[in-house]
Amino acid sequence: MNQLKPLIARIEDVKIEAEGVKTYTLSTGFPFLAEPGQFNMIGYPGVGEAPISLSAIMQDGSFKHTIKSVGRVTDFLKDFKKGDELFFRGPYGRGWPVKKAEKKDILMIAGGVGLAPLRPVIQIILDRGELFGDVSLICGARNEKNMLFMDEFKEWSAKISVYLAVDEAVRPEKWQHHIGLVTDLLDRVRIKPERTIAFICGPEIMMRFICRGLMMHGMSQSSLYVSLERRMKCGIAQCGHCQHSGLFVCKDGPVFSYKEVRGLPDGVL
Amino acid sequence: MTGERTFQKFKRLIPKKAFLLWLDSLKKDYKLIGPVKTGNHAVFKEVDSSEELFMEYGTTMLSPGKLFLYKPNEELFRFTFNEKNPSPIPLPQGEGARGRVTEIFSSEKISVDEIHSMPEKQVIVGVHPCDMNAILYLDRTFLGAVKDPHYEARRKNTVIISLNCAYVSENCFCSSVGTGPFLHAASGYDMLLTAFENEYLVEIKSRRVEELFGLRGRGAGNAELRLKAEKEKSIKWKFKKTVDISGLDNIFAENTGHPVWQRTAEEKCLSCGNCVMVCPTCFCYDIRDEMSMDLKTVTRYRCFDACQDIRFAEVHGGNFRQRRAARLRQFVTHKLDQTNQYGVSGTVGCGRCITWCPTGIDLMEITEEIQRYEPA
Repeated sequence: MNQLKPLIARIEDVKIEAEGVKTYTLSTGFPFLAEPGQFNMIGYPGVGEAPISLSAIMQDGSFKHTIKSVGRVTDFLKDFKKGDELFFRGPYGRGWPVKKAEKKDILMIAGGVGLAPLRPVIQIILDRGELFGDVSLICGARNEKNMLFMDEFKEWSAKISVYLAVDEAVRPEKWQHHIGLVTDLLDRVRIKPERTIAFICGPEIMMRFICRGLMMHGMSQSSLYVSLERRMKCGIAQCGHCQHSGLFVCKDGPVFSYKEVRGLPDGVL
Repeated sequence: MTGERTFQKFKRLIPKKAFLLWLDSLKKDYKLIGPVKTGNHAVFKEVDSSEELFMEYGTTMLSPGKLFLYKPNEELFRFTFNEKNPSPIPLPQGEGARGRVTEIFSSEKISVDEIHSMPEKQVIVGVHPCDMNAILYLDRTFLGAVKDPHYEARRKNTVIISLNCAYVSENCFCSSVGTGPFLHAASGYDMLLTAFENEYLVEIKSRRVEELFGLRGRGAGNAELRLKAEKEKSIKWKFKKTVDISGLDNIFAENTGHPVWQRTAEEKCLSCGNCVMVCPTCFCYDIRDEMSMDLKTVTRYRCFDACQDIRFAEVHGGNFRQRRAARLRQFVTHKLDQTNQYGVSGTVGCGRCITWCPTGIDLMEITEEIQRYEPA
């Protein structure tokens, strides 16, 4: 069978998350299994496919993608409604090292839609928090209208210390959290370098400064994990678009330890 | 992929004429493909008779692997937007017609058909060691953890007869990267020829060709093998281009800011992508959808793509290789430096990227400049 063959998924629900961002709950009729941090190629005939990380992997076999309309494929998807069908194939890639994080403190840092690929990790922490030590989440966005999953933060706060930052607030009088860069918040978290593992996802330039900031807090490069975004056509290490210095981001990543990808040519990490 | 069971790896001397007649006898069951002289060039194409073959060729513009195994264009799927009574769409003529369309599954609105390659059996004769090694390289991409069914089907139906190279072209540097001029790969092909004056030294490399090959000829002894070794030794002196690949690993990665990239990009490179198109190991592809004029069907196909294209590494909100210098460096490092990808060098030393660069960019010159720059 051709691994590029897409499958049909039915949209069970559409939820508006933020400006131009929607979460689609998808089902396929068979149980869909994936690891947190993996991605699917999502698309539609005549429009093409784009790699999108999973934002939830449900116990009933359904799954979610949180998609911001920014390109040809994602723009096309923005008008899809409950009951519509779209095409997907996957899951692909190497996800977050959740197993390695057991018994450790977890520090998650997300920027913008970078929170979506971390959500399956948050899901595991909420379900089985006893496996992990202290868990913190630092989350940044351009403004509060661009912040994802705002309605879920309260539930998350039960097991996770959540810190929020916006570059600028649309309604500063109502915003009770930090205004400024996510990197500012690193000092607010008590980091025990030897027992902490960090999962970071956001714009590459943000991840660069976060990683360097965490190294100044004493964390090692190999305990920092980042999820990279690259152009992909196949997802199976053939089309070559996501290649970086011999790595196939689709197969060897998208999640890498900072040690593996620091200083990658043409990236900014 | 060809020598699954044991076979007799015999070596025989066969008169050239008899060998060519044997090739003609294969035409009963196989398409015969080989080098043919066209003007001043040689091209790999299907022939009606072995008389058309030009076995003394130096190089070709396009490699046999990317003409007959990994195709420039490949139809993958057909999507049909169903109306109330979906009607099956007609199958295409041409190569696709030999294929078979199987319905995988369908929804109410759209059905998806996978297009299967059912390629004819073919024999490619006269594949030089550089191009044979390039096919073994493509195997790593398309027959790795995830197999490409189209490539796999063609590879299985293709008998490859490699020919040790005796005609060094201007830009060849295979002797520097260990991929030629004589072939030393143990498997992955069917037969190896070495041209003597009136005979071919024929070495059987697969069971299927052992079964196909009926000629007795004369068994090759130590004297003939010594002659082969001498031929290899003598041709190695003819290379004008050389590169020292020892210690080349990582040298590009460590010199991403070397002025040679910016200078070559500004003064020479046109981002035309010729280098990629003629490269026998470049495997990158794009996947494209084409909507029919009546808006009822979409054909999804894949086609060669080039890292020299400005949008190749573009994502929303950024382009990892916006600069031409970065794209040029990506190509050169993928060929010469990224051995961590498959454990082998990405170049086979065929020199085509140098020959067909319209502005004369020479990978060897770039490499030497960076090597000179390296502090001792």
